[in-house]
Amino acid sequence: MLRRIGTGLVVLWAAATAAYLALLAAPGDTVDAIIGDGADTPLIRSQIIQEWHLDRPAVVQYLDFLWRALHGDLGRSYLLQRPVSEVIGGQLAPTLTLAFSAGVLGIVLALVLAVTTRRPWARRASSTLELVLVSTPPFLIGIILLSVFSFRLGLFPVSGDQGVAALVLPAVTLALPVAGVLTQVLRDGIDRALDEPFVVTARARGLGERAVLVRHALRHALLPTVTLIGWLFGILLGGAVIIETVFGRPGLGQVTLQAVTSEDMPVVLAVVVFSAFVYVLLNTLADLAYLIIDPRLRRS
Amino acid sequence: MRHRLWLAAAASLALLAGCSSSGGTATDAGAPVSGGSLSWAVETEPITLNPHQYAQAKARLLVWNNFEALLTHDDKGGYVPWLATGYEVSPDGKTYTVKLRTGVTFSDGTKFDAAAVKANVDQLLADGYAPTVAAVQLKNLKNVEVVDPATIKYNLKQPDVLILDFLSSPQGAVVSPKSLKEAKNLKAGGPELAGTGPFILDKYTPGQELHYVKNPNYNWAPANAGHTGPAYLDEVTYRFLKESSVRVGALTSGQVQVIEGVPATDQAQITANPQLTLSKGLNSGSAYSYYFNTSHAPFDDIRVRQAFRDALDVDTVLQGVYRGTATRAWSVISPTSPLYDSSLEKTYGNDAAKANATLDAAGWSTRDAEGYRTKDGKRLTARLVQSAPFVRDRRDILAQAVQAAVKQSAGIDLKVSVVDQGTATKAIEDNQYEIFDNSRADTDAGAALNLLLRSDGAINRTGVQDTQLDSLLAAGEAGGDRVKTYGEIQQKVIAKDALIQPLYAPADQIASSKAVGGLGFEPTAGVPGNAYNVWLSK
Repeated sequence: MLRRIGTGLVVLWAAATAAYLALLAAPGDTVDAIIGDGADTPLIRSQIIQEWHLDRPAVVQYLDFLWRALHGDLGRSYLLQRPVSEVIGGQLAPTLTLAFSAGVLGIVLALVLAVTTRRPWARRASSTLELVLVSTPPFLIGIILLSVFSFRLGLFPVSGDQGVAALVLPAVTLALPVAGVLTQVLRDGIDRALDEPFVVTARARGLGERAVLVRHALRHALLPTVTLIGWLFGILLGGAVIIETVFGRPGLGQVTLQAVTSEDMPVVLAVVVFSAFVYVLLNTLADLAYLIIDPRLRRS
Repeated sequence: MRHRLWLAAAASLALLAGCSSSGGTATDAGAPVSGGSLSWAVETEPITLNPHQYAQAKARLLVWNNFEALLTHDDKGGYVPWLATGYEVSPDGKTYTVKLRTGVTFSDGTKFDAAAVKANVDQLLADGYAPTVAAVQLKNLKNVEVVDPATIKYNLKQPDVLILDFLSSPQGAVVSPKSLKEAKNLKAGGPELAGTGPFILDKYTPGQELHYVKNPNYNWAPANAGHTGPAYLDEVTYRFLKESSVRVGALTSGQVQVIEGVPATDQAQITANPQLTLSKGLNSGSAYSYYFNTSHAPFDDIRVRQAFRDALDVDTVLQGVYRGTATRAWSVISPTSPLYDSSLEKTYGNDAAKANATLDAAGWSTRDAEGYRTKDGKRLTARLVQSAPFVRDRRDILAQAVQAAVKQSAGIDLKVSVVDQGTATKAIEDNQYEIFDNSRADTDAGAALNLLLRSDGAINRTGVQDTQLDSLLAAGEAGGDRVKTYGEIQQKVIAKDALIQPLYAPADQIASSKAVGGLGFEPTAGVPGNAYNVWLSK
């Protein structure tokens, strides 16, 4: 367990450092980023340098960042002039709510689709739909859902983090591509499991087709799907950037987008470290999930 | 004191209010009624809610809800007292004495007086607080003096009429001195900053909305605001919806009553709906223009600059990109400005034959395999570098249309790249560009030209170093007959030196349900006004 935590910390440090180096290597320096397209005079430059202590060597700034990060101080946003913890902290809940609902919805949809569409025609229809969902930009799905269910039918409000009604459309938008991919992986896994000898044994024991599918094949098919959980998080966070913009929802996605385009280093670093943290957490959970799904792994 | 400019005479103000209606015109909404709560979808979430840090023209409609300045603009290039009752200029143009309203209080209960105004100026000049304001708008300010609680004096190092523009700008808005001292995140602003405006910002949900409530004690509207006393609306919510199609959908489905920012592609949807209205206001400041970099080839040669403009049929390009919704610009100054020189209209451009003859004469007479003109084996290339975060109004698409046009008509190779801010800044610093594009929303066009055209201008991208131009700009800043001075400047940079290719006058659009009355554009600035005069019919 200690080793796990140690590895996790190393990953966090590596992520922060890589992000720091990437931003350092990007064209233009921090002062340019803060000035943006506004007026640019030596006086303005010197004041910005003084305000953010940018006259120190990059190494010193980096060490200072690490030192303060260790003490829980993530610094202030160059652009928004507020503490990073406040900028990000306020946006965590809406994004996690969205990502969690979309994740759960996507997984449930995938399970239902993979198990119920076993007949050849249903399978073909579902496969086509999955392919369409996976290849359609979430932006477009969002706009179409909004046009139909919000603008035309008036069933859901367009925007904001205002209760369950406002969560439905964004969550569905984000869940559909996820469901598309997961269904394909699951179905493939089920197909392979159904070819295994143990399925013949199960059938010989007189088990019904449904029980064979749900109790045996599905369980085998889950393993590769669980491995995708890290990927799932990436999709959810990346998708949130677009979904939040389209639906006018607060959240980490919008903050990240703004921070990256304006090279707001403290915010970018915090988002990267946070994402790395969630990745580590999810992959640990995935490892634990293997043990629950597959009894054979418990013995080793 | 040579002549007195006290503007407080009630009669003249009443007249002014009559002619410059920023709203309050008869609509389907009937007579103004008090009460109600309005939802207004806006395109841009402000980076900061502190008016001193204001840098986004798109945020201007929000600033004036809870903050106010000493003066405000009328629609003829003049000023109307707001938190002031009038002002007076010394004969040498170096001292501005401003009389202040009495009986005004900030929403935190602090009294508004000369000391409060001085506290704001001191804050603006504090190290690291607002370097842009200190370096640009207040560059000629020596100090401010509190004469008595209702009088404040601005002493300048040299005559500068733009100080009046500062006094009516968001950066010149007066924030409660108590908030200046106590706010936790002063530069970010928010509900903790108190102002004197007709509304009070009571809730900010980042990424989602701003919520304002009526200031019931408000009773100091400027004469051209449309009415007096408190605002009509009880509450206003500004929702941030970045996607224009989503804003339009939210409006057509009645989820919001007003939206701003309606691009050409969505305007038909509004005008076709009998429940909705669409209005447009041209912005002040400088027109969206291409600035030719004269510091190196090919635009160091005036003939190439002239040829570029002759090669381009601006009307056709604008029609193609904006479907007839854009207003063509002929000068660097926006056509709504009182300083605009309309005699430049239809005097240049769209003459491909002339462009080709000029380029032949300038030595760009050979063509390469792709049909571009060359000279000494070098292609006639102009690089335009656009910074992606600042591209708006489909200016990237416009650039592609210009690119196709100048290639076809004169064999000019316009290379357009849309890059991140850092790369764009680097291209400028390394002088690796031939065309710079920009528009500025300054309320006084002179302020924009100071930045863009002066030899030491903070955004001088033409590389022009011209003492004659500098002295003209200085004369315009000092006052006198500004229309004549800026007329000469425009003649020089557009007609004589061909430094600039003006393209279009930036505009703002408001679309609303017909149940909403009193919407309008801020005089001079041309951006949507605040919610003071807006009402919702029952």
